[in-house]
Amino acid sequence: MPGRALVLALFLAGPAVAAGDELGREVFTTLAQPPCALCHTLRAAAATGAVGPSLDEIQPDRQRVVAVVRDGIGVMPSFEGKLSDEQIEAVAEFVAKATRGE
Amino acid sequence: MKSTVSEVDLARRWLVTVSAGGAVAGLAGIGVPGRAQTKSLPPVAAFKDADATIVHSANGIETRRSAFGTSGITDVDVLFLRNNASPPAESIVADPDAWRVEIDGVVSPRVLTVAELKRIGLASVAMVLPCSGNGRGFFPHKPSGSPWTVGAAGNTLWSGVPMRDVVRLLGGVQGGMRYMTSTGGETFPAGIDPKTVVVERSVPWTEMENAILAWELNGRPIPLAHGGPLRLIIPGYYGVNNIKYVKRIAFTPDETAANIQSSSYRVREIGQKGNPSQPSMWQMNLKSFVTHPSENGQTLRAGPLQVHGVAFSGGTPIRAVEVSADGGRTWHAAQFFGPDMGPYAWRQFVLPVTLQPGSYLITSRAIGADGSVQPELRIENERGYAHNGWRDHAVAVTVT
Repeated sequence: MPGRALVLALFLAGPAVAAGDELGREVFTTLAQPPCALCHTLRAAAATGAVGPSLDEIQPDRQRVVAVVRDGIGVMPSFEGKLSDEQIEAVAEFVAKATRGE
Repeated sequence: MKSTVSEVDLARRWLVTVSAGGAVAGLAGIGVPGRAQTKSLPPVAAFKDADATIVHSANGIETRRSAFGTSGITDVDVLFLRNNASPPAESIVADPDAWRVEIDGVVSPRVLTVAELKRIGLASVAMVLPCSGNGRGFFPHKPSGSPWTVGAAGNTLWSGVPMRDVVRLLGGVQGGMRYMTSTGGETFPAGIDPKTVVVERSVPWTEMENAILAWELNGRPIPLAHGGPLRLIIPGYYGVNNIKYVKRIAFTPDETAANIQSSSYRVREIGQKGNPSQPSMWQMNLKSFVTHPSENGQTLRAGPLQVHGVAFSGGTPIRAVEVSADGGRTWHAAQFFGPDMGPYAWRQFVLPVTLQPGSYLITSRAIGADGSVQPELRIENERGYAHNGWRDHAVAVTVT
């Protein structure tokens, strides 16, 4: 059943992954120090961190992620100076897209 | 309530202002409960009453305005919950007496178990425990963090040993110490620098005169969700300073460098970053809000109505509370009811009114013993802290 196989393949691919998303995912899982994934749960990154809120649950928009990564919040440190503007934008887009589809 | 027409106009004008000036101010608060109902209580707070609370996230649960009751104490089942980091394992409350806390910066530093603390002294205090961001949902610029409206606060009873008794036993505070710095028992995965992400707060060291190392909340051992087995309680201070599962209390010459002290919980203008030169969220301000009527946009039957609510401060006794049903044009002295539980607790107030058909904007303002009056407007600030303006806390109702 080629039709079904195709549907399955599309389903597995999930939301279309653009090139920019790859940088966002990389920031999330490895580039940020400490990596976002260490403290946050995000299905799209297979992250199960449990220190801070689950991003799948709070579904922050792009702007919110940028603000929090730049300034820090609660116990979370600011990543300004540790990540480039491009990296911050990329991770924000990755998280917003993964949790809100935008 | 002479002129119904002007009341309608006033309420309408207020609503118009809200929606023009940044729809969110009023609507964020109203919209939140609907959205939150899709979330369920997290395991750590599974004992709470889902119908009485609004779940913002696994670490943010708010009491509904309608759920405070009129007996003065906020039940643990409805009490708000805010955790800055996920709590430690539930196993730490299995044997509360075995929990250990290190006391440092005193002449004879020592580790004490809760069982040992129980032999040193005993005190109990009624206090309002408010999240620094209570009322954040009313800020039009949508600050990061849970958009609480009124329910990130509760009036609670804590029992434990006075901190000053513990300090006296250990020979007093070492010279040159200016802060009491307390550390929570949260655990962090390897790869995170605990010095920066640790839940650790410093307050002026003299607060030890008032502080309690508490093991009991509202007559029961403190549940993990609220900081059991041992929580540092600093009456009159915002929630974040009341360190949960406290594992260390040190008198220190400087404030801790942890993010939660140095850049978070700092009051600054919108757009600015947090830094240690800005005011820290320590003592709470003068505030009140009505708890009945409780729903914005509610329709009530004409006739008598008991408008009631709560008033509190960071320790200044409440001298009086005034209630307005016309959005602050005219004010009427309310009466206190229920017990006076001391300067850190809230006082309940009530004003009987008779409402004719029309639109009303019902709110309250507290007056402190020092003559200070709860302000009309919020002070805009980046993180949406310390909102005590009476206008945003008003409830708009229609009477038919």
